[in-house]
Amino acid sequence: MAVNEILAIAKKEQRSVLTEIEAKQILAEIGINCTDTRLAASKKEAVELSEQIGYPVVLKISSVDITHKSDAGGVKVNLKNRDEVEQAFDRIMESATAKYPNANIEGVSVQAMAKPGIEIIMGMIKDASFGPVIMFGLGGVLVEVLKDVSFRIVPVEKKDVVEMIEEIKGKKLLEGYRGQEPVDIGYLQDMLLKLSDFVDKTPGIEEIDMNPVFAYKEGAAVVDARIILSAD
Amino acid sequence: MMELFFKPKSVAVVGASGTPGKLGYVIVKNIFDSDFAGKVYPVNPKSEEILGYKVYRSVTEIPGEVDLVVTVLPTPKMTVATVEECAKKGVKAVIIESAGFAEMGGEGKVFQQQIVDIVKKNNIRVMGPNCSGIVSRDIVTSIYPMTKKVSKGNVALIGQSGLLAAGMASDIVENESLNINKVCSIGNKCDVNENDLLEYFGNQDDIDVISMYLETISDGRNLTKIAKKVAAKKPIIFLSGGRTEAGARAAMSHTGSIASNSKIVEAAAKQTGMIMADDFTELKDFAKVFSTQPLPKGNRVAVITLAGSVGVNVSDLCANFGLELPKLTPETTEKLKDMFDTPVSNPVDLYFSVTKIGFTKTLETTFPDAFRDPNIDAAVLILAGFEYTQEAVQKKIIQKIVQDVGKPVVVCMIVGYNRYKNVIMDEMGKELPVFPSLISGVKALSKLCEYGIKKQKLSA
Repeated sequence: MAVNEILAIAKKEQRSVLTEIEAKQILAEIGINCTDTRLAASKKEAVELSEQIGYPVVLKISSVDITHKSDAGGVKVNLKNRDEVEQAFDRIMESATAKYPNANIEGVSVQAMAKPGIEIIMGMIKDASFGPVIMFGLGGVLVEVLKDVSFRIVPVEKKDVVEMIEEIKGKKLLEGYRGQEPVDIGYLQDMLLKLSDFVDKTPGIEEIDMNPVFAYKEGAAVVDARIILSAD
Repeated sequence: MMELFFKPKSVAVVGASGTPGKLGYVIVKNIFDSDFAGKVYPVNPKSEEILGYKVYRSVTEIPGEVDLVVTVLPTPKMTVATVEECAKKGVKAVIIESAGFAEMGGEGKVFQQQIVDIVKKNNIRVMGPNCSGIVSRDIVTSIYPMTKKVSKGNVALIGQSGLLAAGMASDIVENESLNINKVCSIGNKCDVNENDLLEYFGNQDDIDVISMYLETISDGRNLTKIAKKVAAKKPIIFLSGGRTEAGARAAMSHTGSIASNSKIVEAAAKQTGMIMADDFTELKDFAKVFSTQPLPKGNRVAVITLAGSVGVNVSDLCANFGLELPKLTPETTEKLKDMFDTPVSNPVDLYFSVTKIGFTKTLETTFPDAFRDPNIDAAVLILAGFEYTQEAVQKKIIQKIVQDVGKPVVVCMIVGYNRYKNVIMDEMGKELPVFPSLISGVKALSKLCEYGIKKQKLSA
């Protein structure tokens, strides 16, 4: 589905939060690589999609009302076969409905299990004065504790995204620390340019999180994403 | 449009007063004392004449055109009425100095909005309210008395706070501590804001350095665009208030929860090439360095000192601020071998040279020989406040050598007797950047080097 259609649907439904599937569809549309993520409304569909995507898979609760999916017991990873998928589906539904009895649950998203990489966070926020601003940083614990991130005002140029990545205190981790393979920095720069270009041309987007992004020796994949739309 | 503020042919002061000490008097007196050669129209319903100028009862009563109106009135209501009169008269530029508007909230906000509505409808530009307008050679609308003529310097200072900008301006003019061209305070920025001024000063050939203090950023997106263009031509030194705003914002994303105001402003500075200052002294100090010193080609610094221990501290500081202390070339080392007991190193400890050939001779030969070394881009010169230093400064020996060598220098004065130190800092401070601490000098020089390197990359 095209970006405009997804945004129009959310607007019609008076939603400011896009589902993870919608967010990843938009990102894929603008050329940002995301893990294969599809919606299953039933247990049967979950198994079918898992088999299409190929094990192991990840199941996540899909609901516009549940923003903290893990806290709601809504995420099960590394599911290796049909049995595990069926069990995971039941457990996700149980704990999600127990914790959020009023949530409108559309099903679960079935996702390919991304191979591990260096965890990155990328995002965007609209500032009242500066307009859209993009962020780059090391993900996981590093962003939680050290807030090792950099920002730039949209629109950015190549030089800006080069500097954004240079500026990170933990950039050595990207360059291949202690025998690790270096990550594809050029690819990450390109992702930031695409993100900037997209938010510059698309009004109505308030916040974007791509967290985590797994960065590899070649390329990178967005593992989880979230997009918040402006209220008006 | 901006020309009407800075180069008006006629100016009216509404709320003018004949009583010395009153704000309405100070403004008229400041205009009187400036080089302003146009028509001056004080406006006050109760006076006949102020400082020889005929007083008018209202703006509309003034014969002929009025380019600029400055208002200093006791109530916001009177100010709104005056802006309305300005619209009738066809005035296109107004400086509102009085407070009591949006900064007070409530009714003040309503009055400010009324002003915005009138000026938008009538194509009028307004500076303020709650500001002190302009300090320049051509016109002074500040509420602090000027004790001297404003210099025709190369620095423009933009300030948000009226009192502070006016205070800084008076201080700079009185002490000749900075080569100021214009000081402009924009207060509540109901219309004219930092972006208008950056663009204007960016295009003025006689302005080489812009220093700017903001408490709020009116339109950051536009600021980023304009600052980028201007900073590629001339340095913008930027002090941003409210940078520590603690808990970002009520955001739903991770990104939003980390993106504090301070981080965004700092990002904008990096992106545009603006030089961040951390306090008002730096705002002035950095401007002093940038406006008086040539841009270095790199960050290789010679530390010139008379005391070894000071050299050690300053070397550490240089490392912290990204400056390098390279060895001098074999040629320089050979040339200076008789002046030192051991081969010259960096920091260059002039003590030995002084014991051999005396202080003045050392300044005249050993210092420039070391400073001219091709490995060196700039120097930190550490002087002490003693009689012989004062003599050298009064004879302009140091100033002349620095000029001859043609590389940037910062001078630090950390020891000595106040009676000499003060004279040295005042005298030398008119031409060179002189600092009362090592850290302030080294930091300022590091900013100059950073900008110099960036500029070279841009033109490469």
